[in-house]
Amino acid sequence: MTLDEIDLAVLNALKKDARTSFRSIARTLKVSPDTISKRYDRLKKTGIILGSTAVIDPSKIGYSFIARFGINVKPAYAAQVLEKLIQIPNVIVASKIVGNHDIIAISVIKDFQHLCRLRNTILEMANIDKAELGMWIDTMELCPHYFII
Amino acid sequence: MTIKNLDSIGIKLIRTLQNDARASFKEISENGSVSLDTIKNRYNALKKSGIIKGSTIILDPKKIGQGNLVFFGIQTIHNYAEFVMNILRKIKGMYVVTKAIGRYDIEAIAILDDIEKIGETKNIIGDLQQVKNVDVDIFVDKTLLCPRNFEFKEVNKNK
Repeated sequence: MTLDEIDLAVLNALKKDARTSFRSIARTLKVSPDTISKRYDRLKKTGIILGSTAVIDPSKIGYSFIARFGINVKPAYAAQVLEKLIQIPNVIVASKIVGNHDIIAISVIKDFQHLCRLRNTILEMANIDKAELGMWIDTMELCPHYFII
Repeated sequence: MTIKNLDSIGIKLIRTLQNDARASFKEISENGSVSLDTIKNRYNALKKSGIIKGSTIILDPKKIGQGNLVFFGIQTIHNYAEFVMNILRKIKGMYVVTKAIGRYDIEAIAILDDIEKIGETKNIIGDLQQVKNVDVDIFVDKTLLCPRNFEFKEVNKNK
């Protein structure tokens, strides 16, 4: 599907604020709200828009930093481990990767005790060989535009 | 509103909006058997306090031709992390650049078009005199994102 100017304008407006009304997008583009509504439905139907979400500031709800885990798993177990990982509370992103590790998991962390518990939880999972850890010390930003639920 | 008085209505509202940021306040109020005004007030308070920073749509990067998510782990010469970070931030497609503690001094995530671009970017970083080593991991398959895994209730209890 090729995207035209109207599609792109809809995507851009909703990326900035998913609650933007179709009426106001329509007004800016000088088209009818119906047109915007139809474009939105089509973008959803074709899977370009996968969904929408509220963006939360982790630092405002008791989190102090983000941790990244680089995880190595026994061959052929990546998919299985991934499914389990994303169910762990506070893990907000998980993906298979190719490179030094097999899986990356990104988690919001409350304090060091929490980090240690989480690390143990991961290490105690079946079929995990090792988990390396990086702590992000100056960003709590993780814009979800590009992550697929 | 602070986390100290983030009540069950507020938490429920956040959860609903995390699932669907476009959910109508009218429906939320009807489903939760609270007034429309209550929901509007909670939403405004959550925005004002910065707990809700905004909202966004989630796109399938492949369908809009946006290429691959790539993780960079970078080791720098002592005291040069900030300098290297400033260069990284200028590279197109970089959207997380952070100082880190652990194996790497800097960790970054970028969206890059293709394998060539990934190689090129790795070389740009690796060629910097202040950089000792660059590791690259490329995200494959579906990236799972679970914003719902943020724990609100536990935070509430602890405070």
